[in-house]
Amino acid sequence: MSADAAAPAVATAKPSLLSVALTFAAISSTAFGGGQKASIRHQVVSKGWMDNELFMDGLELAQVLPGPNILNLAIYCGQRVRGISGAIAAFLGASVPPFVIVLIAGALYFKYSSNPYVHGALRGCAVGALGLTLGNALELSWDERDDWMKIVLLILTAVAVTYFKMPLLLTLVLFGGIGIAREYRKSRKAKANS
Amino acid sequence: MNATASTLLHILWTFSQLSVLGFGGGKGIIPQMHRDAVVTYQWITNDQFTQFYTIGKLVPGPTTVFAALIGYAAMPGRPWLGALAATVGMFVPSSVIMVVVDVFWTRFQASPWRAIVSHGLAPAIVGLVWSSVWTISRGTASGLVAYAVTLVVTVLMLRTKLSAPLLIAASGAVGIIALR
Repeated sequence: MSADAAAPAVATAKPSLLSVALTFAAISSTAFGGGQKASIRHQVVSKGWMDNELFMDGLELAQVLPGPNILNLAIYCGQRVRGISGAIAAFLGASVPPFVIVLIAGALYFKYSSNPYVHGALRGCAVGALGLTLGNALELSWDERDDWMKIVLLILTAVAVTYFKMPLLLTLVLFGGIGIAREYRKSRKAKANS
Repeated sequence: MNATASTLLHILWTFSQLSVLGFGGGKGIIPQMHRDAVVTYQWITNDQFTQFYTIGKLVPGPTTVFAALIGYAAMPGRPWLGALAATVGMFVPSSVIMVVVDVFWTRFQASPWRAIVSHGLAPAIVGLVWSSVWTISRGTASGLVAYAVTLVVTVLMLRTKLSAPLLIAASGAVGIIALR
């Protein structure tokens, strides 16, 4: 038996860099809205690049760190199967198609936005995007309802940023810091009780 | 330094900062991005910001890819260069962090800090999303039709499985008829 048998089950298959890039390009250029995480999982697991456990571990990391979840997740998968060059291939696959598509949409926007019909459509779309953002805010707030202090914290954040123009860095350090300190204390208490 | 190079560096620097601070998938950076692009540097107007954000929601991939459009508008002489700089600034720094942390990740696996950080940051991120609602609503939501469409989309998003681009496109159709 080779030494591989003793190694932990990291990547079981070793795809080409092109195949890594194309896999994520296919997902990033077609997956609208939600469902992208599920389709990445389906792809990497069914292709034998990694098992479900390794994938879920990467998903958690991708969500904790800054940056779009989908992009982070693609980079994680690319890195696990082909190291740093795999990460770069996955980055390009996941970011180039949306970049090209948004530029095409933008070019059309700059060309036609003064047309009254296009203008009306854009205003309508913007109102739709506002509705989605509002729905997102409500949904996320509902997830925090277990603890009234969290609701207070999120209201204070919204007021500080909206009315007092608090910079993003300070907001994250101050209100994020308070949130992290509270979670830390909670975990200490839970440990002491167990 | 000439004006092009200076704008290019400002674009790179602005979006790199947003990239590094883009916790929660980047949901919380909209108010700061608006302040940078519309108020501080005046690369785009308030209405353009809202419309670019909308295009970001409409296209596949991460919403924050609309940074490219801000870069495009910021450099009228070399729009493609501006778009590229904004996108590199927006996506590369967070990606480098992802790669570096992943190398050390196994060490953190047993650490309770993962949950502490993500749960701890959540209220601030949600507060920032509420502020984004305000940012986007300025100039957009005026008049009865706009209010009605906003509410209908909100309810449909929360109560049905209709996809985001579909809801935006349907709102656009209403716009052609009623918001011209």
